Amino acid sequence: MKNKILYVIMAAAVVQLTSCAKDKFISPVPTNAISDLTAFDSKERVEGQVRAIYASIKNAGMYGGRYQIFNDIRGEEFNNERTNVVTGFDVWNYTPSNSSTNSVLNHWSRAYYVINLANVFIDGMAVKGTSVVGAALSNNYLGEARLLRALSYYSLLQLYARPFWDGNGSKPGVPLRLKGNTGSDDYALARATVAEVYNQILTDLTFAEQNLPLTNANATLNTTRAHRNTAIALKTRVLMSMRRYADVITEANKIVSASAPFVASTGVAHALQSDYRTMFTSNYTTTESILSMPFATNETPGGQNQLGYYYGPSAFNGGNGEYSLLPNSIIADAGWLPTDRRRSFVQVFSGKSYLTKYSVASTFIDWAPVIRYAEVLLNLAEARVRSTNTVDAQAIALLNAVRGRSDATTIFTPLNFANADALANAIVNERRIEFLGEGLRGTDITRLGLPLPAKPGVSAIAATAQQYIWPISSTELLLNPLCVDNN
Amino acid sequence: MRMRKLLALVASVVLLMTQLQAQTSRTFTGKVTDAKGAPLAGVTVSAGSDRRTVTDNAGNFTIQVGSNVRSLRFTYVGYNILDASISDKNSITVSMTEEDKSLSEVVVVGYGTQKKKEITGSIASVKGEALANKPTQSFDQALGGRAAGVQVNIPNGVLNAPPVIRIRGTNSISLSSYPLIVLDGVPMFTGDFSGVGGAAGNILASINPNDIESVDVAKDAAATAIYGSRAANGVLFITTKKGKAGRSKVTLDSWIGFSQVQRLPTLLDAFQYTDYKNEALRNAGTFNATTNAFALTNGPDGQPINTRWYDYVYRTGVQHSNTVSISGANESTNYYFSAGYTNQEGILKRNDYQRLSLTMNVDHKVGKAINIGGKIQYSSEKNLAAVSTGSLGDAFATAGLGRVVMVTAPNISPYNNDGSYNVNGALIGVMGNRVGQVGFNNPVVQLDLNRNNNYIEHIISNVYAQVKPFSWLTARTNYGIDYVLTENDSYFHPISGEGFASNGSVTATYSKNKRWVWTTTLQFDKTFGEKHNVSALAGIEHQKSDGNSFGLNRITVNDPAFTNIQGGWATPNTAGLGIGENYLYSEFGRVQYNFDRKYYLTANLRRDGASQLGANSKYGTFWGVSAGWEVMNEKFWTSAKLDRIFSSFKVRASYGKVGNIGGLGNFASLSQFGSGLYGGNGTVAYSQAGNPNLTWETSKKTDVGINFGILKDRMTFEIGYYNSNNDGLLLFVPQPPSAGLPSTIPQNIGSMYNRGLEFAVNFAAVQKKDFSWNTSFNLSTNDNKVNSLAPGINSIIGSTGGLENPNITVPGQPISMIFVTRTKGVDPATGRRIFINAQGREVFFQHVAPAGQARFMYADGTTAPTVSNADAVVYKNTHAKIFGGWENTFRFKGFELTALLTYQFGNWIYFGSQAGLRDQRFWNNEVAILNRWQKAGDVTEIPKAVFGDNVSNGSSFPLDINVFRGDFVKLRTLTVGYNLPKSLLEKIKITSARFYINGNNLLILTKYPGPDPEVSSNGNGTTNFGVDRNTVANQRTLTVGLNIGF
Repeated sequence: MKNKILYVIMAAAVVQLTSCAKDKFISPVPTNAISDLTAFDSKERVEGQVRAIYASIKNAGMYGGRYQIFNDIRGEEFNNERTNVVTGFDVWNYTPSNSSTNSVLNHWSRAYYVINLANVFIDGMAVKGTSVVGAALSNNYLGEARLLRALSYYSLLQLYARPFWDGNGSKPGVPLRLKGNTGSDDYALARATVAEVYNQILTDLTFAEQNLPLTNANATLNTTRAHRNTAIALKTRVLMSMRRYADVITEANKIVSASAPFVASTGVAHALQSDYRTMFTSNYTTTESILSMPFATNETPGGQNQLGYYYGPSAFNGGNGEYSLLPNSIIADAGWLPTDRRRSFVQVFSGKSYLTKYSVASTFIDWAPVIRYAEVLLNLAEARVRSTNTVDAQAIALLNAVRGRSDATTIFTPLNFANADALANAIVNERRIEFLGEGLRGTDITRLGLPLPAKPGVSAIAATAQQYIWPISSTELLLNPLCVDNN
Repeated sequence: MRMRKLLALVASVVLLMTQLQAQTSRTFTGKVTDAKGAPLAGVTVSAGSDRRTVTDNAGNFTIQVGSNVRSLRFTYVGYNILDASISDKNSITVSMTEEDKSLSEVVVVGYGTQKKKEITGSIASVKGEALANKPTQSFDQALGGRAAGVQVNIPNGVLNAPPVIRIRGTNSISLSSYPLIVLDGVPMFTGDFSGVGGAAGNILASINPNDIESVDVAKDAAATAIYGSRAANGVLFITTKKGKAGRSKVTLDSWIGFSQVQRLPTLLDAFQYTDYKNEALRNAGTFNATTNAFALTNGPDGQPINTRWYDYVYRTGVQHSNTVSISGANESTNYYFSAGYTNQEGILKRNDYQRLSLTMNVDHKVGKAINIGGKIQYSSEKNLAAVSTGSLGDAFATAGLGRVVMVTAPNISPYNNDGSYNVNGALIGVMGNRVGQVGFNNPVVQLDLNRNNNYIEHIISNVYAQVKPFSWLTARTNYGIDYVLTENDSYFHPISGEGFASNGSVTATYSKNKRWVWTTTLQFDKTFGEKHNVSALAGIEHQKSDGNSFGLNRITVNDPAFTNIQGGWATPNTAGLGIGENYLYSEFGRVQYNFDRKYYLTANLRRDGASQLGANSKYGTFWGVSAGWEVMNEKFWTSAKLDRIFSSFKVRASYGKVGNIGGLGNFASLSQFGSGLYGGNGTVAYSQAGNPNLTWETSKKTDVGINFGILKDRMTFEIGYYNSNNDGLLLFVPQPPSAGLPSTIPQNIGSMYNRGLEFAVNFAAVQKKDFSWNTSFNLSTNDNKVNSLAPGINSIIGSTGGLENPNITVPGQPISMIFVTRTKGVDPATGRRIFINAQGREVFFQHVAPAGQARFMYADGTTAPTVSNADAVVYKNTHAKIFGGWENTFRFKGFELTALLTYQFGNWIYFGSQAGLRDQRFWNNEVAILNRWQKAGDVTEIPKAVFGDNVSNGSSFPLDINVFRGDFVKLRTLTVGYNLPKSLLEKIKITSARFYINGNNLLILTKYPGPDPEVSSNGNGTTNFGVDRNTVANQRTLTVGLNIGF
C-alpha cells in the first residue's frame, strides 16, 4: 500500500512538471501595444506613426501650448501673476536654470523625442514602410516627418541657441541628429553650429515642399496635417529668423498673390478671413490657419499647459489667469483703436487686462495656432522693407490687408512712414497686435536683436547677455559629454 | 484541468488511508500534573494509534486501552512528550516537564521549518506579541528596531503609507529594494495599492497584526536562496496563528488611541507676515500701497484675521481596534478563527483607515498519514482622504495638505466674513491683500467637499494536502490565491481647488490583481547510523499574476448635486487603464545534513523562469550554501574549560548567489509602439525601447557569525558580518535626452555592495518570582557603496515630485547622495546670498539687480555666470551608518513595563520643506526668517528679503543650507500593563485579563529641525531617498487597551 501512495505522489509531481502552463505563460504578449517588429506592417500602422509625430509635437509642452507661451512671456506684453515656476515664472523673468524642469529640461527632451520619432519613421520607411504603402504615399509621409523634424529643430534654436545674426550662424546650435535611435548606444554628440541646424531645417522643408500633397482631403486635414504650402509658409518664418529677406520674398511669393486680396493661388487657397475672431471662436479650420494643433474633449492639452488656462482669468473661462496683460504693453498703443476687432480679445477683470483669445473653459481645448497666413503676409512685408530698405508699397499693402480686416478705419500710406525703419517697426508692431498670445514675440525679439524687455521687478537683458537665451538641459550636459553649455 | 487532477489525487489517497482496525480494550484512568504538581488541563493522552483523549480541568482523564498497548503517550504544547509504561496498572499519575524552549523553537525557512538551534543561515525572529495591539495599520510599522539588520522607516504621517523596509541595506538602484513577503508559505502582493494621491494603501495592512504568530526575517543567501530570483532583498516569512492543543480559547483584544501631530515649524502670524512681505516688496522695488501690497483684513469680529492654518488641517485622531479570536486543537484537528474591526483617524482631517478582517484556518489529520487543511483570509479596507496630502510623490501639489498649511498667508481666513468660502477661482481669495495670490487651494474647501478614497477587498486563501506515507517522506501540495480588488474614488467639487478648472471632476477606477501560486514539495528526513541526520527537499512552483484596471473620469458637472460618475456630467473620459500579467516557474531543492548535531551543512538551489525577462534570458539558477559548527559539543572545548564560561557556542558561515526582479514591469524587455489620438485619428507611437537580454540582478552574499550564550544562556549574543555584492544591477540607463529615446532602456550593468556588522544581545537580567527584567539590544551597521553604473553614465539623478533634483547616485559613494549647490552664508555688507559655483568661486546673488549690476556677481563686481543645479556637488550620505533598537521589559507581580528605543546615526536629510519655509514669494515663512539681513553690518544666515526671490533659500535649486543630520533616538513604544491576578480571574471565570497604556513616538531626541527625522518623501524610492519635502510628520499616539482570554 505504501508503494501505491508513493506512486500516486510521484505521478502528481510529474503532472506538475509537464504542466502546459509553463510554456503558455512564460512569454506573454502585451495586448495593448504593438511590437516593434510589426510596426510598419500595414498602411494603418504607417499612417498611425505619421500621426504620432504630430501628436508628439502637439504635446502641450510643445506646440500644443507651452512653446507659444514661452515665446509670449519672454516679451513685454505679459505680467506673471502666480510666481509659479511650473507655469513659467522663471522663463518670464529670464532666470531659467539648466535644471528648470518645466522649461529647459522638458522642452529639450520633448523636441528631441519628436525628432527621433521622425528619424525612426524615416529609417523604417526605407527598410519596410515604403514597400507597404507605395512610393507616392511614402513620399507624402516622409515629407510630413521631415517638416515636423524641422519644426522641432526650429523651436530648439529659438530657445537654446544664439540668434543667427550673432556670428552669422557660427555660434553653437544644438546636436543635429538625423538617424533613428532605438537601442543602447554611445550618443555623445557635439552641438552643430546654428547655421548647420538652420540649413538642415531648410533642407527638410524643401524636401517637404517637393513631396507633400498640394492639398489634403478636407479643411480639417488642411489645418492639422501638412501640405505643400505649409512647408513654404514655415520656410518664410525660418528665413526671417536667418534674416535672409530675399529668400523670404522668393518663398512667400509662391503662395502670396502680387496684389490684394492676397491669396495663395496654388495648393490650399490660403487667404485672410474677413473676421479675425472666426479663427479663435467658431472655425479652427479656415484657409488662414495653415497649421494648428487640434484638441478635443478626449484629446486634451493636459494640466498647466493650456493656452486658455494661462491667459484666461477664472472669471472669464475658469482659467488660472497665470498671466495678465501689462498696462504699458501693446494694449497701450494708441494706434490700436478700440474699434479694432482684435481688441475684443482684451478684456478687463478685477482691474487687470487679460487676453481672452482662448475662451474654451476646462479642459481648455482651444486649438493651438502654429502658423497663420497673416504671418506669411507680414513676413513678406517686412522682408521687402528690410531687403530694399525702402518704404515699399507692397509692404504697405500687405500691412493694410492685415490691419484693414480688423480695423477698416486705419489705412496706412507711405506718408505715415518717415523711412524704411519706421515702416519695418510698424510691421513688427502689427505682429505684436495680430499674434498676441500666439507665440511669435519672443522669436521676433531675438531675430531682431532687441533686448529682452524690462518688466515689473525684472531688468532688461541685453542681446549680448548670457541670459538672452536659455541654458542647455543639465541632463544633456550630464549624459552627453560633447555637449557644452551656453555661456 | 489542473485542479481536477489534484482532487482525484487527494480523494484516492484519502480512500487508501481510512481503514480502521478493531481490538479488545480496558478502561484506564489517570491524572497529569506539571513538575510542581499542579494539574494540567488539555493534555492529549494517546493509547496506540487510534485512541486518544484530553485531560479535564483537574488534569484527570479516562481512556480505553487496547490489550496490546504497553504505554501511554502524553503530549502538551510547551512540554516534553512523555511516554509512560502502563503494563498491568489501571491508573497512573504522571508529571510532565516543560520543554527547554531554546531547543524546540522553530523558525520558518521557506517550504518548511527548522529548529532554531540548527539554523546555519542568518534569520531574525520577531514574535507576534511585539507587533500586536499597536496603534498601527500594518504589522510592518511596528517592526522597526526589533531585529538586527532590518531597518524600517515610517515615511510620513499619512495613515497606511508603506514603510520603507531595508534588510541589510539598499540592494538595488532601479528595481525594488523591498523584501519578498511570504505569508503562510505563499508569496503575497506587496506595495501601495491605493490609486489615489491622498490615501495610502499598504497591502500588508490586510493582515490583522493580532493574527500574526511570528515574523521571521531571512537575511543571508543561505536563508533566502530557496526563493532564488526574489531573494536579494531578504524574505519576511509571516506565520499566522493556529489553534493550539488544549482547551478551546477565546480572546478579545481591544484598544482605543489618540494621535497628534508633533514638532511642526513655527510660522509667521498675520502681523509678522504682512510686515515682512511688504518689506520684501519694498526691497524688490515693486511695493505700491494701492496696487501691490500685503494688508491685514478684519474678520467678522472686527479684529484683524490671524489664521493658524495648522488648526484647520490637523486634528487629534481617535482610533480603535477590536479583535475576537476562537481557537483550539485536539490531536487531529486544529482551528483558528478571528474577526477584527479597526477604525483609525489620522492626524490629517479626513484621513481615515478602516479594516474589517476575517481569518479562518483549519488543519486536519485524516488517518495516520494525511493532513489536509487550508485558510481563508478576507479583509475589507478603506483608505480615506479628502485631498492629496503633499507627501508621497507629490511633494509640490498645490492641494497637498502638508504643504498648504505652511504656504498659505496667515492674514486671510478660509471663510469670508459672510461665512461663505474664501475662494477666487481655483485658489483661495486674497481678501485685503493687494496682490494677485497669497495661497494655493483653500484647504477647508477641499476638506469639506472633496474626497480621494481607496477601497480594497483582499482575499488570501490556500488549501493543501500532505501525505506522509513513511516516517521519512512527506509530500505536500499547496494551492494559494491572493486577490486584491481595489476601487479608487476621487471627487473634486467645482467651487474651487482641484475641481475648479474642470468645473468639477469625478474619477472612479477599478482594478483587479489576481495571483495563484501552486507549490508541490517532497520532503525527506532520515537519520543514518545514529549520527548522520539528513533532510532533503525538492519542489516545483508556479506563480501567475494578472492585473486589469479601468475607469472613468468625468468633468463639467451638470448640477453640483452629482458627486459620482453615475451622475450628470459632460465628459466621459477613460481613466486608469491597465492590463498585464506575469508568471514565475520554479524548481527548487534543499539538502540539510548534520553530523551528531555538531557539524551542520545546508545547500539550497532554485531555478526560476520569469516572464518579465528578455526572450534570451528568462531562466536563471540561484543557490546558497552554509555551514554551522556547534563548538560546545567538541572535546577540546570542554577540556579548555570554555564550557564553564559559555553555555552555548556556535559558528556559522554562508555564501550564495540570489537574484532580484522586484518592481520590474511586466513587459519591460520588449520594444513596442503604443497608441493614442491625433485629431481624432489613431496613432502608433514608438513608446518603449526594450532589451531582449534583460535579466535578473544578482546578489552574491557572504555571511559569517557566531552565536553564543553565557550564564546558562540567560545572556545570548549574536554577532555577524555580511557582505553583499550586487552585480548586473538593472539600470534604466539614461541616454542623453537629445537621443530622443521614448524610454530609458533597462540594462543589467551596475554594481554595488552592502557590508556591515550585526550585533544582538538578549539578557534575562533578573528573574525572580515577583520581579523580572529582560533587556535586548541590537545594533547594525551598513556600508553601502555603488561600484559602477553604466559605461559613460557617471551619475543618476534622483527627483522629488518631478520638480526638484536633490539626490545623485555616483560610483564610489553610497546610493542616493544629497546633491546640492554650496553656499557660504550671507554677505554682511549687502545681504546677498553667497553661492560657491562649480569653479569654487564665490558668487553673490541678488534677486533684483540695480542698474549697472548683475543678479550674479563675483566679489569684484564683475558679472558671474548664473549659478544653478549645474554647480551642485555630491554632498552627504542619506543612509544611516548605524541603527537598531533597545527594548527593556520589567515585570513586577501583575505589572509590566516595556520600552522600546530605536535609533539611527550617520545619515543626512535634505529638508526641502525649509526652502519653502524661507521662500520669498507670497508663501508664509517660518519665524527664523525674521532674523534676515536688514542693514550693512548685519551678520545673519538669512539673506535680505526681496520679494519673488526663490533662489537664495533653495526653492529654485537645492542648497546645502537645507541639509541636516538625521540622527535620532526615539522612544518608539512605551507600554505599561497590568495583568489581573489568577485568583480574581478564577472568580470571574476568565483565563487572562490584561490592561495597558501604550505610547507610540512619545519622545524624539534629535537635532533635526524638521518634524521627524524618520521620513521619506519619496517612500520606497532608492535613488531619491533621504528627502523631507512638505511631508506630513509621523504621529504621536497614546492608546489604552485590554486583552481578555476566556
